[in-house]
Amino acid sequence: MANTAELTHAELDNIIDPPALVQGKDDLASITDTVCNVAENKPPRAWYIAFLISLGVLGMLGASIVYLVITGVGVWGNNQPVAWGWPIVNFVFWVGIGHAGTLISAVLYLFRQGWRTGINRFAEAMTIFAVICAGMFPAIHVGRIWVIYWVFPIPNQMALWPNFRSPLLWDVFAVSTYFSVSLLFWYMGMVPDLASLRDRAKKKMSRLLYGIFALGWTGANRQWHRYERVYLLLAALATPLVLSVHSVVSFDFATSQLPGWHTTILPPYFVAGAIFSGFAMVVTLAVPARALFGLRNLITMRHLELMNKVILATGLMVGYAYAMEFFISWYSGNKYEGFAFVNRAFGSYAWAYWIMVSCNVLVPQIFWFKRFRRSIPVMFVISIFVNIGMWFERFVIVVTSLNRDFLPSSWHYFSPTYVDFATLIGSFGLFLTLFLLFCRFLPQVAIAEVKLQTPHAHAHHGDDH
Amino acid sequence: MNPVNVNREPVLAPDLAARVSRVGLVLAVLGLGAGFALGAAEGDNLRHFFWAYLVGFAFFFTFTLGGLFFVLVQHVTGAKWSVSVRRMGEFAMNTVPALGIMAIPLLYPLLTNAGREEFGGLLWPWVQPHGEHADLVAMKEPFLNVPFFIGRMVFYLLVWWLMARFFMKRSLQQDTDRDPAYAPTIAMRKLSAPGIIVFALTLSFASFDWLMSTAPEWFSTIFGVYIFAGCVLTIHAWLVISSVFLQKQGYMKKEVNAEHYHDLGKFMTAFTVFWAYIAFSQFMLIWYANLPEETGFFHSRTTEAWKTMSYLLIVTNFFVPFFGFLSRHVKRKPKMLAMWAVYVLIVHWLDLYWLVMPSMSPESNPFGLIEVATTIGAFGLFLWAFARQGVRHSVLAYGDPKLGDCLAHENY
Amino acid sequence: MSNNSSAELHGIIAEYHTVEEILAAAETVREAGYTRWDCHTPMPVHGLDRAMGVRETRLPWVVLIAGLTGGGLGVLMQWWMNAIDYNYRISGKPDWSLPANIPVAFETTVLFAAFAAFFAMWIANGLPRWFNPLSRNARFARATDDRFFVAIQASDPMFDQDATAAMLSSSGAHAVETVEEPDETSRPPAVFRGAVWSLVSLAMLPLFLVAMARYNTSDKPRVHLVPDMDFAKRIKAQAVSDLFADGRGTRPPVAGTFALEDMEAVGADPAYYTGKLGDSFVTDFPLEVTPELMQRGQERFGIYCAVCHGDDGRGKGMVAQRAAVLSPATWVAPTDLHTQPVVDLASGQLFDSISNGVRNMPGYSSQISYQDRWAIVLYTRALQRSQAASAQDIPEGVNLR
Repeated sequence: MANTAELTHAELDNIIDPPALVQGKDDLASITDTVCNVAENKPPRAWYIAFLISLGVLGMLGASIVYLVITGVGVWGNNQPVAWGWPIVNFVFWVGIGHAGTLISAVLYLFRQGWRTGINRFAEAMTIFAVICAGMFPAIHVGRIWVIYWVFPIPNQMALWPNFRSPLLWDVFAVSTYFSVSLLFWYMGMVPDLASLRDRAKKKMSRLLYGIFALGWTGANRQWHRYERVYLLLAALATPLVLSVHSVVSFDFATSQLPGWHTTILPPYFVAGAIFSGFAMVVTLAVPARALFGLRNLITMRHLELMNKVILATGLMVGYAYAMEFFISWYSGNKYEGFAFVNRAFGSYAWAYWIMVSCNVLVPQIFWFKRFRRSIPVMFVISIFVNIGMWFERFVIVVTSLNRDFLPSSWHYFSPTYVDFATLIGSFGLFLTLFLLFCRFLPQVAIAEVKLQTPHAHAHHGDDH
Repeated sequence: MNPVNVNREPVLAPDLAARVSRVGLVLAVLGLGAGFALGAAEGDNLRHFFWAYLVGFAFFFTFTLGGLFFVLVQHVTGAKWSVSVRRMGEFAMNTVPALGIMAIPLLYPLLTNAGREEFGGLLWPWVQPHGEHADLVAMKEPFLNVPFFIGRMVFYLLVWWLMARFFMKRSLQQDTDRDPAYAPTIAMRKLSAPGIIVFALTLSFASFDWLMSTAPEWFSTIFGVYIFAGCVLTIHAWLVISSVFLQKQGYMKKEVNAEHYHDLGKFMTAFTVFWAYIAFSQFMLIWYANLPEETGFFHSRTTEAWKTMSYLLIVTNFFVPFFGFLSRHVKRKPKMLAMWAVYVLIVHWLDLYWLVMPSMSPESNPFGLIEVATTIGAFGLFLWAFARQGVRHSVLAYGDPKLGDCLAHENY
Repeated sequence: MSNNSSAELHGIIAEYHTVEEILAAAETVREAGYTRWDCHTPMPVHGLDRAMGVRETRLPWVVLIAGLTGGGLGVLMQWWMNAIDYNYRISGKPDWSLPANIPVAFETTVLFAAFAAFFAMWIANGLPRWFNPLSRNARFARATDDRFFVAIQASDPMFDQDATAAMLSSSGAHAVETVEEPDETSRPPAVFRGAVWSLVSLAMLPLFLVAMARYNTSDKPRVHLVPDMDFAKRIKAQAVSDLFADGRGTRPPVAGTFALEDMEAVGADPAYYTGKLGDSFVTDFPLEVTPELMQRGQERFGIYCAVCHGDDGRGKGMVAQRAAVLSPATWVAPTDLHTQPVVDLASGQLFDSISNGVRNMPGYSSQISYQDRWAIVLYTRALQRSQAASAQDIPEGVNLR
């Protein structure tokens, strides 16, 4: 190798003997301390500032939804032929964000990636909140939100049932199942940590509240045994579930006959995109959170670097899908397909298309270089670029396919209104408010699971079988 | 999990490998010879033979490409569990030259004039567009034309051969050099990530070229992923079979244990599900939209002669294997898992057959001895190329720095 | 073995500091033959199951069965709701289309399996539990932090306070302490139970009301929480409205309004718009005769006229044939356009018949434009000519085969 011996040594470390997942003091008590202190002590001033801002933005969301419900969906830019517009763009965007959590918890668990323990709690919380944001958009998009219960198969006064042949209904099932199972998974992982908080609590009120949600957990091994088996089973169930959710979202588009929507690669392509955006969001949130709450020893550079590698890999998968769609749109010989894709790249929304390509495919290529993978400012900026790029991906899919109707007389340039903007920005307020509350009151890192990654969790003898 | 101390000794089985490769060669000669003779006897200008030959070729190709992917992905993830079976994956990937030999007869249907008038070509029907879709197929001429097609074929094989050589050479070097800085391993790790990109693109376009263009008016963006799912399934099944075989012959008794089988079995389960997911996505989207230019592919496969087989595939390729090796007890019993692996290979072949053959004969299922013979021949050729490497090389990557972790590995 | 003094005793706990110690202690206790005991650790300790001799849980079976049930119910639900109870055709799919039901069936499979896994695990673990006597012990709080404990219950048949404590001490414990049964009840306070039950009952209420409403009929109009468009502000036709001074809801046309057609008819060209000049029908054709107009006429004739009069104009169209079979009393057969009286009619009269109808034939003025009506007249003339043609009518140069 032409490189210096030093570099080779660093490489070697990473390959043969990677750095420990817990750095600094890694005895069991200090792990408990590090995580629990966040919930027990007063938060830093920055938390209050961020929380107030988030609450304000959440208020904006509330106001725009009230205005929407009172007035009607005409306050949005949606119109024929772009009837789906921003709300559906935002829905797909948020559902995508909500994929990293369960992926990290479940898929990486099955692959025995020990590094997931530093970030999984965090990412799962993010999943739950992102799915809440996502679910809100189709609900308000239906227009008459007071009859939203028609989408559920419950007996109603008209004695009719939902149409199960519609992909939109599959979405209702997929997203609500995903939300419920993610919630169970998140909560179940948190129970032993809530027990830790309960057993340390000084105040009666917090002892009672943490006590109720800790369900009386005492870490008995017979309970751990069933707990671990069920955790594995839930991971095995959540893995196909996480694939199914964004696949079903993609069915909303791909079952149609609309050029640019109807393409068979859409399900895996959507899943890769979802993981891509989800990981980017985890990096965006983890970088400030670990600094703010003193979690640098638990969410280490190794965690961040691995996440950046996942971002690079999934970014390439998304790029693969873009390329295949383009090639097949020509190869199909269908001139409408061909037009739809040429129009994406060179039509009236070319600016959105090229923002998408640059942010999702070009910019992450910088992660090929170890130096940038390990640079906090670089990864923070790139993760935000990816978030933007993935939002634009959904914009490109929804708007460019719809705005060029089969009838040229119906062609229409979609422009959002200020209510569209307020709702999108407001949804970030909802997300961040929930997220900041989680950071403040719940264990941000899976205490018991991180302990399992330390040398203290393993006997140094008798490990044969 | 503490790495156990391993004594880094090669596991050499030259006699066994030579014996197996001889068996492979005999199978190849007999199978392909018999297929050719049966095909010639049909008096259809060898049309049926070449279609059957393509199915066999695709079967071979999924082993090779599966091996390539397996090796690449172990390096890119730095996997520890797989070190003891990786060499077998490397042997599988390094069969590219034999695949190249098998590709040569495929030039005949591209270049001959036979069958052009009636079918558009002896094998790929776009060689001379004909029939009701002639205009549509002629439009694809910039991509689907004989010189470019042959050029691409050579290009894919060359790229795979270079990749296989690179990884094989470094892996062997790591064994013999005992380089304390693990330079060959680091080199492989560095090239594995770009390697996967090259792999993804070449595999996709090769499957478009060789398999999807047998129905040139049809198209599906997911097709490359579909073939990929089959490749990964195949290689894991093949690793199970070859490990169990080696252990039965007295090799690698300690190096491969229940934990490794458990993991291989998990990947078989996972990719059975993944295959079903991709197959369902492809079918459901085309079925639902029901566009005439796409739906014909499934229409000819779900009506008349092919109906039974299509429904059967759902059972044989998903439900039976899924419930068959879902349980961890099955995955941890090598012999039972090996039986399932053989089953997986058979149904994977059925899948390829179902993908290709209805395009030749939409009205009737032509299954007969000719398919059996050519497939045995193709498999024999693979086996020959696979096992021949065991004559000279250790069947264990004993120099790999992670071998100790691999042997100490334990599932939870 | 137990004596009276241990009646209030809950059990004995022993504290250990490392994984090695707890593993060794667990083996000691297991070998001593205890059955009602457990190890408490801050994280799962791998190898402890083997050391304690914990049997493999059967929960995976519960999950498998729940998953299959969920999948089955998912398919059954979709079949019953879409193909049986409220069946309707939509998006060109059969009432029961299995491929379209797979996504939802998959989700219900996962949903049932995950809920079963989650709840069965807590039930099997005897949780949630309001109160655990072990938490009385101050040391034991560190079981969820950094200490490892063995707890042996006093109800174990092998339990003997002194002997058990001695065994634990000799197993390397850093501390051995007894835990007493608490005086207070281990049930949650009444307030808490009351709150939980009220919440559960309240959550059931909407479902109950919906179910009730669904199986009751009522004469009263439904409750309109949100009016939607049920009560749009509108004025019914011919109704009184006080919005306008004259009190009429339906507004008369503005003064001087007249229909566009009238203007054209009255204005420029009565022959073209009515087929009449004065009281007599026109005999001249008011348009320039072109092949395009002829083709247009043929096409329109095929659309509007041929169903009754037949493609050849002989009055044997599909409607006429069907009517001949059914022969209803009021049926008047369509005219054969080739009879001499019809051939002799003025072009204007043909136009008038198309526009205003004749006998049972309705007028087509609302459906066929003026020009198209004249095109049909033109084509009718050509048709009549063709049916009465002789050899001399064939132009020279036309090749008769």
